[in-house]
Amino acid sequence: MKGNIVRRSILDGITVTVLGLVLISIVVDPTTEQLMNLKFNSFLFLALMVFGAMLSHLLNSIFGIKTLGQNLFEPDYEKAKAEAKPIYRTFWGWHFIVTLIVLFVVGLSKTQFSIIELLDEDGFEGAKRLFAGIFNPNWGVLPAAVLNIIETIFMAFLATMLAIPFAFILSFMAAKNIMRGPVSFGVYLFIRTFLNVTRSVEALVWAIIFSVWVGIGPFAGMLALMIHSIASLTKQYSEMVETVYEGPIEGVQSCGANKLQTIWFAIVPQVILPYISFTVYRWDINVRMATIIGLVGGGGIGTMLIKYQGQAMWPEVGTIIVVIAAVVWIMDQASAYIREALK
Amino acid sequence: MSEPVLKIRNLIKTYPNGVQALKGVSFDVKKGEFLVVIGLSGSGKSTLLRCINRLHDPTSGEIVFNGVDAAKLQTTSEVRSLRKRIGMIFQHFNLIPRHTVLGNVLVGKLAYTSTWKSLFGLFSEGDKADALKYLKLVGISEKAHIRADQLSGGQQQRVAIARALTQNPEVLLADEPVASLDPATCHVVMDYLRKVNQELGITIICNLHFLSLVRIYATRVIALKGGELVYEGDPKNIDQAWFEKIYGEGAKEVHIN
Repeated sequence: MKGNIVRRSILDGITVTVLGLVLISIVVDPTTEQLMNLKFNSFLFLALMVFGAMLSHLLNSIFGIKTLGQNLFEPDYEKAKAEAKPIYRTFWGWHFIVTLIVLFVVGLSKTQFSIIELLDEDGFEGAKRLFAGIFNPNWGVLPAAVLNIIETIFMAFLATMLAIPFAFILSFMAAKNIMRGPVSFGVYLFIRTFLNVTRSVEALVWAIIFSVWVGIGPFAGMLALMIHSIASLTKQYSEMVETVYEGPIEGVQSCGANKLQTIWFAIVPQVILPYISFTVYRWDINVRMATIIGLVGGGGIGTMLIKYQGQAMWPEVGTIIVVIAAVVWIMDQASAYIREALK
Repeated sequence: MSEPVLKIRNLIKTYPNGVQALKGVSFDVKKGEFLVVIGLSGSGKSTLLRCINRLHDPTSGEIVFNGVDAAKLQTTSEVRSLRKRIGMIFQHFNLIPRHTVLGNVLVGKLAYTSTWKSLFGLFSEGDKADALKYLKLVGISEKAHIRADQLSGGQQQRVAIARALTQNPEVLLADEPVASLDPATCHVVMDYLRKVNQELGITIICNLHFLSLVRIYATRVIALKGGELVYEGDPKNIDQAWFEKIYGEGAKEVHIN
């Protein structure tokens, strides 16, 4: 089956499923026990998906009515054929609007959105106390905060440095234009999949894993950032490799160079500046991430922040926030200037 | 002069998308000749050259080079030692923009240098002397330490010629070497190719667009049309009838001087 039809069926199926499930919950008003019945609900979900996909097929193929999925995923040459109509006079337009409104209402209900809570006097007083504390920082903890943020910066720095060699080598193995041939393509697919899985696990989760492995502290945080940086840098690097000009590659190959020589002489000179630029940006991102990772025991300023926050010592928290904000702002500016100069 | 350096027999190249670029081409290349390949864009000229040094893999047929069928070479090391003896220059020069001129010319020595030495840029003094010698031959040795992307198009093509010569090749393939140059520079580059052909005795196979250049530089001509060989002979014998056969009726010859 064609890719665009699969995508259309899934999208239309999901929209029908969401509408169907919302309708059923309104009519039946299920008990908690019914909601927790995973088997029956999965069956219901799948049944609605199939129904939705069939309905979508019926509308598109038999009645010639364009659904949202068809309009979004149909190939360009089909899009070119469609006559231009205002969105409110199309089926897919109303399909989209109704889905969006239903999702919005479900969102309000799921997040227990409440104007009353927001305007509650007691709660508001509490927030005022917190802000009063934060805006009157206790500068007594400044030396400790500075020492801790230095730890955080070096966590990020070392994580970036250690990630570079891994990412550099992996990036060529994760580039489609280099990994031609059946064996190479297999390696390419394996590395791509491995990196995607690694990247989809948040650095925060890696920090939790490593804090069990090597104990709570900056080493665990650094390892977490390194793993995440390897995966992210490899992806960015390999995308650069995939956009290099073929000309120099042909030129070097025509001289009888082997694969390693071709990469080193024809590809590396083309990607080295973007590589440096991505790496500087990654360090900048890592400093920000290192702060968050500290919250789960990754060491540095984050760990200090969570300690004072736990004791509701808002003036101390205020100092720490000021230090974090200053460093993040400086890193952000510095990395922007460096990247600009590297263009 | 009579010994063929390349014997090409029934060469067929079909691309994965089904396009048949070469439909059974056969010809000989004699040692020391300046063979020019003419034909419209898409007639298979570039494909032909790229099959000879295996930048493209031919679908079937023979390419006999020094008694060995280059079309049958399987391993990458065999293909590399074939390319070592066949230099190539390109329409867009295909230099490494960020490297120096000398660095680019030394690329011609990669096949002679061990991988580790080449990655650290450790070329022997002899290699460097060779590179400078060929830069001098194409009249550009004073630019040796300038970055390649600082040079004009004609100068870059001369660096590319020096790079190919540094390989010490028997045959030099030239794919539209002057197609992206202005008319004056055109002749400079073609004159250097003729010098390489006559003084070093290197066989040249060159794709060209302009018949006026063909008449000046070629010692022999073959013409491709739609992937088939339609003419083989002396450049002086290309008359109006042949011209129309190669380029289609109503085509007019453009002269560049």
